[in-house]
Amino acid sequence: MIESSTRVLDPVRGFISSVVSPVYLLAESPYLLSGAIGDVVATQDQLLVRNQQLERQILELSQISQQYVALKSENDRLRGLLGSQGRLPYDVLIAELVGIIPDTNTFQIIIDKGSNAGVKPGLAVLDAQGLFGQVIEVGRFTSRVLLVNDPDHAVPVRVNRNGVRGIAGGTGEVDALVLENVSVTADIVEGDLLETSGLGGRFPPGYPVGTVVSVVVEATSAYAQVLLRPTAALDRSRHVLVVFGPNQQQDPAAQQEQTPPREQLSDQQQYQSQEPTP
Amino acid sequence: MNPGNGGWVIGLSLLAALVLGVFHLPEWAPAWLGWLRPNWLLLVLFFWAIELPHRVGLIAVWILGLLVDVLYAEPLGLNGFVLASVTYVAWRFFERLRMYSVLQQALLVFVLALSAEFLRVFAIGLASERAWGWSVLTSPLVTMCLWPFLFLLLLRIRTGIRVE
Repeated sequence: MIESSTRVLDPVRGFISSVVSPVYLLAESPYLLSGAIGDVVATQDQLLVRNQQLERQILELSQISQQYVALKSENDRLRGLLGSQGRLPYDVLIAELVGIIPDTNTFQIIIDKGSNAGVKPGLAVLDAQGLFGQVIEVGRFTSRVLLVNDPDHAVPVRVNRNGVRGIAGGTGEVDALVLENVSVTADIVEGDLLETSGLGGRFPPGYPVGTVVSVVVEATSAYAQVLLRPTAALDRSRHVLVVFGPNQQQDPAAQQEQTPPREQLSDQQQYQSQEPTP
Repeated sequence: MNPGNGGWVIGLSLLAALVLGVFHLPEWAPAWLGWLRPNWLLLVLFFWAIELPHRVGLIAVWILGLLVDVLYAEPLGLNGFVLASVTYVAWRFFERLRMYSVLQQALLVFVLALSAEFLRVFAIGLASERAWGWSVLTSPLVTMCLWPFLFLLLLRIRTGIRVE
């Protein structure tokens, strides 16, 4: 019980988790192996089809990113007019899922990057579609991530359409989040997209969290019951991104030369720039 | 008779139990299968503790429990306590337990697994909002049903390799 209220034992846990992380790898090996075999024995036709799909996807994405550059510069100009700070792109680190905590009542996963790659407790984790969770424990080579749908998890969000703020809590169901303490008069309708608001400083702002699937207003309650479907594929994604958010940004010297998108920095560079935090 | 014979078999079986414990089902498997996850480590440890009580030390079991705590993301010391209690029960009564039929042993395994499960739920509930469901009951039931098979398997391994 010392553990839940203080962080005294964190180094102990971190050390033990470095020792036991191979167990996760062993348990995961059937999946890794079947994936590897699948890669080796894929027929040429399959590879060709896959290649075509990927090329098409690259084309679409590069089209979008062209627009993104224009929109970004416009946004920066407008923000400059308003006198507010421009947004920096964040550093990300690609990690792979190597284990799942075997308890039906909690949603936590193990990823294959730890303190040796600069991961720290509290960092946000994304997958290709949206917010995935946050790092809660770091070992040398692995870290543990609490998913957004865990009952113990909550994240400050805002409605993408009009900026109404709220807090999205986990429910323990894989496909549902709940927006907590929403007043019945709040302007939230079915289909709204909720993104991280960045309030509290733990999660970087602007990443999608979930879409509203139902808004139930009961006459007897002062609060509306708003259910969300998480945008991230919480039970399927194997590759996730660890985001170094606003508080974990690199040192100022590195920030000034931030012309290349941070995603293109190699792990090596990220690791170096993470180290000299004062 | 060499008293240190085959310690690696014990270690390997415990490691296998650990790996089975964190093994997760493929994505297409139905979610309710997760409720039927047996307590592999308890089974394996119980077997070695009644067969070879002199080979299983309480301190070692406690340390093993610490590893399990981190593996399962549970409060530190919880599994150490659970596993050490199981070992103690087995130690205390191992002569009598060996005389029992496999079914009677299975019943005891059920009681042990059930109390372990309740203790877990209680300790976790103190620290977090994690809900608990029927797995408190289903998991010990599956553990009980597996005992006869695991017992025979490990007994065969033990006599085959002469673990003393």
